[in-house]
Amino acid sequence: MNSAAVRRYLPGTLAVLLALGGWEILSRSGVVNRALLPPPSVVLDTLFVVMKSRAFLTPLAHTMTLMFAGYAIACVLGVAFGIAMGRSEAIHNLFEPLAEMIRPIPKPALIPPLFLFFGIGVKTMLIIVVLAAFFPVLINTIQGVRWVDVTLVNTARTFRLSQTALTLKVILPAALPMIMTGMRVSLGLALTLTILAEMLAGESGIGYLILDMQRAFQIRQMYAWVVVLAVIGVALNALFEWVERRALPWRGQ
Amino acid sequence: MKKLLAISGLVLVAFLLLLWEASARLGWMESSNWPPFSAVLIAMWDGVKSGEFPLLVGETLSLMLIGYVAGCAAGVVMGLLLGLSSLLNRFFSPLIETFRPIPIAAIVPPLILFLGVDAALKIFVVAFSAFFPVLINTLGGVRDRSEVLRQTARTFRLSPLATLWKIVLPSALPAIFAGLRTSLGIALVVTIIAEMIAGSSGIGYFIVQAQYAMQPAPMYAGVVWLAIVGYLLNRLILKIERYSLPWHGAS
Amino acid sequence: MKSISLTNVQKTFGTGPNALLTLKSITLEFRVGEFLAILGPSGCGKSTLLQIIAGLIPGSGGDVSFGGVPVSGPPAGMVYLFQQYSKSLLPWRSVAGNVALAFEASNGDSRARIRERATGYLELVGLSGFENHYPWQLSGGMQQRVAIARALAANPRVLLLDEPFSAVDALTRVELQSLILDLWEKQKLTVVLVTHDVDEAVFLSDRIAILSRRPAVIEDVIETAIPRPRDAITTREHPRFLALRHVLMERLLSRPAVK
Repeated sequence: MNSAAVRRYLPGTLAVLLALGGWEILSRSGVVNRALLPPPSVVLDTLFVVMKSRAFLTPLAHTMTLMFAGYAIACVLGVAFGIAMGRSEAIHNLFEPLAEMIRPIPKPALIPPLFLFFGIGVKTMLIIVVLAAFFPVLINTIQGVRWVDVTLVNTARTFRLSQTALTLKVILPAALPMIMTGMRVSLGLALTLTILAEMLAGESGIGYLILDMQRAFQIRQMYAWVVVLAVIGVALNALFEWVERRALPWRGQ
Repeated sequence: MKKLLAISGLVLVAFLLLLWEASARLGWMESSNWPPFSAVLIAMWDGVKSGEFPLLVGETLSLMLIGYVAGCAAGVVMGLLLGLSSLLNRFFSPLIETFRPIPIAAIVPPLILFLGVDAALKIFVVAFSAFFPVLINTLGGVRDRSEVLRQTARTFRLSPLATLWKIVLPSALPAIFAGLRTSLGIALVVTIIAEMIAGSSGIGYFIVQAQYAMQPAPMYAGVVWLAIVGYLLNRLILKIERYSLPWHGAS
Repeated sequence: MKSISLTNVQKTFGTGPNALLTLKSITLEFRVGEFLAILGPSGCGKSTLLQIIAGLIPGSGGDVSFGGVPVSGPPAGMVYLFQQYSKSLLPWRSVAGNVALAFEASNGDSRARIRERATGYLELVGLSGFENHYPWQLSGGMQQRVAIARALAANPRVLLLDEPFSAVDALTRVELQSLILDLWEKQKLTVVLVTHDVDEAVFLSDRIAILSRRPAVIEDVIETAIPRPRDAITTREHPRFLALRHVLMERLLSRPAVK
């Protein structure tokens, strides 16, 4: 391994090892209450036990399905509305006040009203996730569409592309970088709100489990699931970056 | 004609509100939890008169602001450090990238164990959430033009401290403000989340309690007041930004 | 078959006290198959005029027609090439993909056939072998060739070139000029070239329309009367070339300052 790679990766790796090591020592030695914060070795052990048990896949599937379904719907709606509002001044004028009134409402605050009105269930939770993830995609799509270089638009015009062709072949790809930025923010929001909804609805899923285990004082399992969630978060982020790089190969040139 | 188009959005909103009012009064909705919009307005006003809502808003905002300031300050300092020293950046990056994507709702239960369900929890959670956007933005702002500016400072023989204060910091300010604005929105949301999961005070807690008590009008009233607070906070920070950065066109 | 016809074309930007009268009155008849250069200093509205001809922006007054039909939007048979050609290439498409943009909508050809045609046009501009490259991988001169190939792929009768060679180095410019002349002759096109470069205007065109400063009118239309085919080196030494160049430079350089 050459020295350049060592210089790049050594400090970070060292930091992670130090952090884990410090955690292990502090916890085992009792400086930090072991009952409240078990050492990482114990957490990892518990995690493996949970993963091998039958109670692992169901909550994971519940949370992931809910999150991805809501996220996908929000992205489709956000891009569709975003393109429409970005291209047409009339449509923009029609929907903007409504959007600007809903947007500042912290989406978690909408959970109780929606639960109260639509009842507590998967459908309502889906609506919540969609509502939260919708706006970043919408806003970024509108901006992306509006900021498409006028030279590109005029190029399409001089080649007499139809409006559909212009939108799909030129505007959409040109706005894609901004759209993907919005989609990335929405991904985090979708996960957060899925977890939150599960905590408040209290039936199944990772969110429910974490809260439930905290209340039942099953601390080690709670931390195990928090680790699962952290891994999911990091993995989703990395996955998104990978997709972004492949979808936008011309960026950074 | 153009004027008509311009207000079409407001017409839409007014129409929807009217629809809301009518549907509730005429009993179109089966649920008993569908109060007319007017009832919500009344509940909003009652809440203000009785002093209940101002108190709730005060509780939410005070804790939020403490956490926000703490998180932002830490974010700026860390961002400056990491931006100026690539070694420190390489050291802390993996740790930061591991903690950043964790959904805030997930770290609340563990934190309850240590910090209970009161002020300390909320302040910490808000600070934690506000920290990252400010860090990332400050880091970006510092590294963006760092090299050219540092050379400039060197030709004028500025000391490291003077370079930092006179050149690096002002040039990174637009990016820092972008981070501050993002964090403000996040701070409010996170405070509400914390109040909903582990609350005992504040608007978030109030809304959840109203849901359990099946009192829709006060609940919606709380939501609307929350939206107004969020909107005003955003305007406030935009104003502050415009005031501090007159040379920079609003991004 | 008539070509482009401009009658009393005007253009004002903005309204009220800040209104800017860019084009005062432009009247010009273009001849089918000619190579006409619009020559004028920067900021006189040459590009604006060309974009009005192209149907990309509307005039504020007067008539523009092409083939006897008034122009109200980009007309069939005419293609406009942008000064900022690198911004006009779609960065997410390959070179061949960019060329295909010009014709893929029309006939529902198979992808292989489209690919074949695009490759053919790239050959015309000397870019064989670069079909799979992406715009950012090419030099400025090559990007301009892609833009030209793409324009040709639309099968136009008229090419409108907006200062196409101002952003490339001198040698590349000479190469591209020769390329354009070659294509103009082979494809029997009508070319309208907007430029501030006197040499270029004289070297390439049959006629030169001199545009005044804002508010612009056509001061003069000069027949270059230099024999064809033109050669990159020897034509530039031709007495008629030198004489015309001299006259035009004097005119353009002795202008009074803009009010």
